[in-house]
Parts: sequence; structure tokens; C-alpha cells
Amino acid sequence: MAQEAVLEERRIVYDDGTVRQFIGASIVFGIVAMAVGLWCALELAWPGLSFGIPELTYSRLRPLHTNAAIFALVGNMMFAGIYYSTQRLTKARMASDLLSKIHFWGWQAIIVSAAITLPMGFTQGKEYAELEWPIDIAIAVVWVVFAVNFFWTLAKRHEKNLYVALWFYIATIVTVAVLHIVNSFDLPVTFFKSYSVFAGVQDALVQWWYGHNAVAFFLTTPILGIMYYFIPKAADRPIYSYRLSIVHFWALVFMYIWAGPHHLLFTALPDWIQTLGMVFSIALWAPSWGGMLNGLLTLKGAWNKVRQDPVLKFLAAGVTFYGMATLEGPLLSIKSINGLAHYTDWIIAHVHGGTLGWNGLMAAGVFYWLVPRLYRTKLYSKKSADAHFWMATVGILLYIVSMWSAGVTEGLMWRAIKPDGSLLYPNFLETILAVRPLYIVRAVGGGLYLSGFVLMGWNLVKTALAGRPVNGEVKVLVEERARPAASLPDLLTGRPVVLASIGVGLTVVLGLVNVPTAMVVLTLLFVLAIVVYLFAGRQDPTRPAWHALLEGRPLVFTVLTLAAVLVGGVCELVPTIFVKSAVAETGPGQQPYTALELEGRDVYLREGCYLCHSQMIRPFVSEKLRYGDPSTAAESRYDHPFQWGSKRTGPDLARVGLKYPNLWHYTHLMNPRSTSPGSIMPSFAYLAKDQVDLSITPRKLEAMRTLGVPYTKNEIANAAASLEAQGDSIAKDLASQGVKVAPDSDLVALIGYLQRMGKQTQPSPVLAASNVPAPMRAAAILPSGTALAGGR
Amino acid sequence: MADTLADNGAVAPADGPDTGHDYDGIRELDNRLPNWWLASLVGAIVFGFAYWTYYQVFHAGPTEMAAYHAELAQAERAAKALQAAHPLDDATLVAMSKKPAVVAAGSATFHSTCAACHGANAQGLIGPNLTDAYWIHGGRPTEILHTVTSGVPAKGMPTWGPVLGATRVQQVVAYLLTIRDTDVPGKPPQGQLYQTAIAPGGK
Repeated sequence: MAQEAVLEERRIVYDDGTVRQFIGASIVFGIVAMAVGLWCALELAWPGLSFGIPELTYSRLRPLHTNAAIFALVGNMMFAGIYYSTQRLTKARMASDLLSKIHFWGWQAIIVSAAITLPMGFTQGKEYAELEWPIDIAIAVVWVVFAVNFFWTLAKRHEKNLYVALWFYIATIVTVAVLHIVNSFDLPVTFFKSYSVFAGVQDALVQWWYGHNAVAFFLTTPILGIMYYFIPKAADRPIYSYRLSIVHFWALVFMYIWAGPHHLLFTALPDWIQTLGMVFSIALWAPSWGGMLNGLLTLKGAWNKVRQDPVLKFLAAGVTFYGMATLEGPLLSIKSINGLAHYTDWIIAHVHGGTLGWNGLMAAGVFYWLVPRLYRTKLYSKKSADAHFWMATVGILLYIVSMWSAGVTEGLMWRAIKPDGSLLYPNFLETILAVRPLYIVRAVGGGLYLSGFVLMGWNLVKTALAGRPVNGEVKVLVEERARPAASLPDLLTGRPVVLASIGVGLTVVLGLVNVPTAMVVLTLLFVLAIVVYLFAGRQDPTRPAWHALLEGRPLVFTVLTLAAVLVGGVCELVPTIFVKSAVAETGPGQQPYTALELEGRDVYLREGCYLCHSQMIRPFVSEKLRYGDPSTAAESRYDHPFQWGSKRTGPDLARVGLKYPNLWHYTHLMNPRSTSPGSIMPSFAYLAKDQVDLSITPRKLEAMRTLGVPYTKNEIANAAASLEAQGDSIAKDLASQGVKVAPDSDLVALIGYLQRMGKQTQPSPVLAASNVPAPMRAAAILPSGTALAGGR
Repeated sequence: MADTLADNGAVAPADGPDTGHDYDGIRELDNRLPNWWLASLVGAIVFGFAYWTYYQVFHAGPTEMAAYHAELAQAERAAKALQAAHPLDDATLVAMSKKPAVVAAGSATFHSTCAACHGANAQGLIGPNLTDAYWIHGGRPTEILHTVTSGVPAKGMPTWGPVLGATRVQQVVAYLLTIRDTDVPGKPPQGQLYQTAIAPGGK
């Protein structure tokens, strides 16, 4: 290959300054993320800790905790690991120092803006995608900057083939871009307010396709890539199996995408998608464990080092937690287990096993390894690192075990039925009282973990101060541009591509006959392609294997990765969004909200009520007894965004409308413990002082109309008057019982929304008269007689 | 442990075949995939295929809603049978209100569930005073039972029957019968006068 090449020795200095910056940001924001998490945990045990301050209220802080842990702690750690290893694996400095700088500072600006806007209540109301649209655009821009910088570096590489770590980075970059953009489709109303373009079932599916794969491609694949670089480096051992890397990489990126619907089992999501979500989740177990095996088996022969080296201790424990979490995930996706565990604290245990155990311990291992090298010195205190290891491990165990117990307790108490057919624990508060001590144990575990993390920060600062920043360098022999080893036609006619194409082709043909069967056939054929490749693909040792050729062509590799990722998303999302018959709407459909109810719903979103209250009654007898008939798809068809929720720290609210009088809601929102002794809900008394901004209300209705909600021009024009009239009727009802509250306050709007929940499917007879303003429609469904008296 | 995980049924050498790769000093071996791992991969996929075919192609198993309706029908049958076995009239409820154990159980349920709206002494708060002689939805024991069981959704009285179950509702009503006409100062009377002295099922 190099027969006629002119060799030139070139010295390459790596950009390690950016790596140091990302590490620092990860540790600082990691401490913030966990401190906010600890505060949230304490608030769940002692709700008074919000002190009635909106910005300190649990439901506004929780999005800050989750976003900071995912995007600030893990995000910055991921970038540090990627920048460090990519340069070394490609023997090239990052392509553009300017892009690296924009990436670093842009990302930190996004984090800071999140930390400011989330407690203020600017949110889209979708979990882990709360940030409002201007920040969403900034995320997309910075991500593209990162992608350009990364792929440009690959183009400039002095290493022919891409190592497995880089495959995972590629999958991360392209998939996160797709997920973020599709889930962020929304219609802005103001600079800080927008509505998801999807509604109800469709919004739920898109959201959890995003949410699940954010776990997959933000918290998992990049960290696997990092594992593939740092474990062999730290252990000084070869990777256990190259072919295992190939098989588990392709299986993982292909299967992960399909599994999103396991977050929506027993909801109004159509059965066929639920089934797909479940079977792919179970099938995901082996590809996930492929990564764990390759990590742990690489340590084969180095276990004596694991005992002494804190770095290896953290990495080995991190990979072990990855194995635990990826066994638990498929387990929780089995429908019968999911029926027990969904909405409970078991899920909280599961995600913290992943974040604290896998991400957090891997971050620590990588940082303890990197910082001494980035400052050419030794780790300041090995003892302190060991102490951190034990604090982290014990902290995680306290956290997980307490939340497991709480989750199983809740699941069993919610469904317990007496012989006479009634609920054994009819009052939801009974479960709260039962698990509250476990919430305290959880806070202790989290506090211990955070303390260990702070200790690491101190240790690493001391380490850095003892040395001086150095940038790694390498000498490479640069050849005159050698021709690519593999031509494009060769690659695209390779056996795996041909087999996969035949599979897709067959599936499409079958799909015209029977869509569901076709999807299964596609999966089977894909696996068949892998197996054939494994056993038949490497017969001729003189011919380079197809995959090795592929590793030399980053662009083709990226396109194939994107194709593998897109199949699952397209098969699930496209029919659900565009084919009416794919989502059977039975029963009465939802009617549009009145102006007051819509504003009340925005209060519900802003305050983060969806973080503790679901709006999705599952088809179980125990739920029918407690909450009413199972929720249907038609009942949330105008919900932009959907508010089905994923956790029941409080009861489901799908049919809470008219269950209690206005006065009950008022009293309960002002001080939850006055009507519900032992409740851990924060007080929302401040809502009584906040006023609805009536100037925006018509624009909100207009935006909804654009999204397909059938508001009339008349309704939009009269939105403010309608809101005041309906608010007046509620305020009058309260006033008649001695409570004074402004009719256009957020509190009254919220009560209006709550009283409407589950009642929206009954079109009032007044509705038929088109010239009747909306308040009359509202009056007809309001509980008390005073409401009608207030109308015209 | 590592050796067990990698077990291929043969004694593996310390290092497997080497690919000869070298990335920044990282070497890669090319060990065979562990058999148990391959089996779990293929097994899960075969299971997925079978599960999908069973439910979504042949519709051999019940849908989610069909399973729910079957469960619901059975629960309703059981509840009806229980009701038929223990018919209720005013006299039975009054008799229950004379049993201290029943009243104590009813009092406990009242204080955990009803007191939030009716007050700890049933003096009325968000809901009406239950200690006077006036009843909005009828004061006969069976009428009270009906009000608690089915609720008055239009006025904010929840439907407690499905939540509390027949037994607990009866206990609550028995407890209420012991405190009616005690006139605890609180919310002023609402509804119709119901005179226990002359009414059937009265004291």
C-alpha cells in the first residue's frame, strides 16, 4: 500500500485543554445536580422544605435535577472522554479549536440557562425534554458543532480503521440529533412558551421513543465507547473479543430504538406497539450484556490490579452496575411485572442504578485515571479515592434497596383487594405513610454518594494543583494520500448489506400484506444476517473481512448506523402518527378546553404536576375501583403535550374532575395537609397571588387551532372574556363559602382545569348553539348551581 | 468469575486469538462469543417472535381490554353474590350501629376518609354537618348508605362504594347513626328535617 508513498514524520499535539475543561464542568455541575436531587429527596420526606417559594418547589426542582444529571454531569463527562480518546484513536488533534471552544462554552451556557429557566417554570412539560424552544434550538446548534468537529477529525485521521469506541460515538452523535429534533417539534406561542405539535397517544409515543433512547444513546452508547477505551488502557489488557464488539454494537443500536413503548405498557397506546416494545426490550438484554462481558472479560488476568487500583475498581463496579440495570430493564418490560412496578419507586431505583452506578462510577474511574495524566503527576490521595469508592457503593445500595422496597410496597398496596371486592387500602395516603421512612433512607444514601463525589472533586483539584497542565502528543508517519482501502461499490455489495437489504425488501413486500408480520420478519432477518456473518463471513483469511473494510469508511459506517437506528423509529412512529387506523379511537372523544381550563392546564405544566400525578388509568380492576374507567386514546386527542405522566407519588388525576368541590381543591392546594393529613405534596399557595396573563390567552388558543384543535374564530376572539366569566363562577362559588380569591388567578384556573378532568368527554347541550360563548359551555359542566347563575 | 463467563466448553488459553489490531496501544483479541450469551440472544428473539405471533397475528390471547373486562365481570359477580347473601335494610343498619366493634371500625374510616370534608367531629366543613337532624339526600339509614356508596358527584360528594367497599361503607353509616342528632356546633343545618323518633328504623 505504501510502496510509492512519500513518508513524512509529523508531530501532533492533542487538544487536552478542552478535556480538562469538560472534566471540571462535569464535576462542578455533577455536584449541583446531586445536591438538587438530595434536596428533592428531602422535600419528599419533609414537604415543608419548599418554604412556599415557587423556585424551591419539588415539582419545579425535579426537572432541574434530572436535566443536570443527564446533560451536565454525564454530558460533560461524555465529551471529556470522547475528546480525549477520539484524538488518540485517530492520531489527530480535534479538527477545529474554535469548534471545540464553541462546543464547550455553548454547552455550559445551555446548562446555565436550564438552571435558571426550569425553577422559574419555563417548561414544555415533557420529561427530560423540558427546556423551552429557544434552548432546544441552542442544543441542536451546539450538537451540530460537536458533530462537525468530530467527523472532521475522523476525516483528518492518521489511523486507517475506526476502533470500536468510535463506532459508539458515531451512533451517539447521529441518534441523539434525530431524537432531539423530532421530539422538539413544537409551535412557539411566546419566547418562553410553546406547545408540542403532537398530541395524546402520538405525543406519548414520540416522547418515550425519545426518553428511552436518550437513556440508550446519551447515557449508554457513549459510555460504552468510553469503556472500550479506558478499561483496556487502565488495565493494560487487550479487548476480549473483537467479534463480540461487532455483534453487540449492531444488535444494540438496532434493537434499542424499538423498546421505547415499554414506558407506556397498559396505557391507551395501541396493543401492537406495546407488544413490540416489550419483545424488543427483552431481546435487548443480550446485546447489553455483550458490552458488559467485553468490559469485564477484558479485565481477565488483571483482577489482582482491580483490588489495588481505584480506577479499575470504579470501572469494574460501573460495568457491573450496567449489567444489573440492563437485566432489570428487560425484566421491568415484561407486562405482568410492569403492571406492578410502573408508576412506583421501583423505576426510581432502576434509573439511579443506571445513573449513579453505571454513569457515576464510570465517570469517577475515568476522571481518576485522566486527571493525573492531564497534569503529569500522581493522584493526590489514593486513600481518599478508595473512601470515595466505598461511600459511592454503599450510597447506591441504600438508595436502590430503599426504592425497591418502596416500589414493591406501593405496587402491592395499590392493587390489594379485599374479599368483598373493595380496595384494601382505599386511601392513597396510606401508601405514602408506608413508604415515607424509605424516602428518608434514600436521602441518606444519596447524601452519602454526593459526599463521595465532593471528596473526588477535592482530590482531583489537589492533584491538578500538584502538577501542571500538559497536552499529549504523538509522532505519526504521514503518507501521501493513500487510496481508500475499500471502494464504495465493494462495501455496499458486502454480504451483510445485501442480506439486510433483502430482509428489508422482503419485509416491505410482506408489509403490504400484513404490517405486523413484516416487522417481525425484518427483525428475524437482521439477526440472521448477523449470525450468517459470524459463522460464514470470515472463511478466507487472506481477504479482509467486510466489517474491517467498513471501519475504514466513516461516512458509510455512519450511514449504515443511521439506517439501523431509523428502522425501529419509522416502524413505530410513522403508522401511529400518520395512519388513522393504527390508533383505534373508541368511546367519546375529548372536547377542546375552555380558555380558563387551557390556562389552568398551563399552570399544571409549569408547576410540574405531571412529575407526581399520572393521567392514565390502566385497565386493572384495582385502578377502576380507585380512579374510574380505564383512560382511552380519544380522551387526550387535543392534549398538546400529553400529560399521562410516568410516576404516581400522588394519585392519578385522569378522572378527578367534579370528584371534590371547588372548596376542597382550594383548601388542598393552599395546604395539602389540611385536607389530606400526611400528604407530601408541596403547598401551592403562591398560585393564589399569580394572575393569568390574559393578553396571551387568545394566542394560546390560536396556536392550538393551528395544531388542529377545533376552536372557532369566535372562541379565540372572546377567550379573555370567557376566561373571566368562568373564573368568576368558580370564585363566586368559593366566595359563597367564605373564601376570597381573584377569578383570574392561576389558582382558579388550575381548579377549573382539575374540575374538568375526565369530564371533557361530555359535550354540553349548550355547545350546539354556536353563538354561545365558551363560559356558558363551562358553566354547564361546573359542579355547583352558582356557576349557572353567574352566566349570561 | 471471568473464566466462567467465557466458558465455551473448552479450556481457553490465557489469551485468545489476536486480531493484530493496535489502536493507541490497545490490542484486540478475537475470542468466540460465549455460547450461553449467543443462546440468550437467539432465545430472546425466538421468544419475541412467538409472543408477537401468538397475540398480534393469531390473536390467540386476549387483548389488554378483553382481559380487563373479564376480570371486571368476575369481580362484579362476586360483589353481587356477597350483597345477595347479606341483604340490607334500615333495621339491619341500626342494629349494626349498636355493635361497638362495627362502630369503632366505622369511626376509624370516617376519620381517615371523610373528616377532611365533614370535619373531625362531623360538624361540617366543606361538606354538610352530619350531627344535626337535617339531611340533603335523605336521612333514612339506607338513604345515607346510598349517598355514601354512590356519592353526589354534582355536589362534590365522591362515590365511595367502589373505593371503600360495601363493608366499610356500612361501618361508616353505622358510625353516622350513632352521632346523628347530637347537634355538634358547626355548619348550619342544610336539607330536610328527618325525625328519627317517628320514622321507621328510628331510635
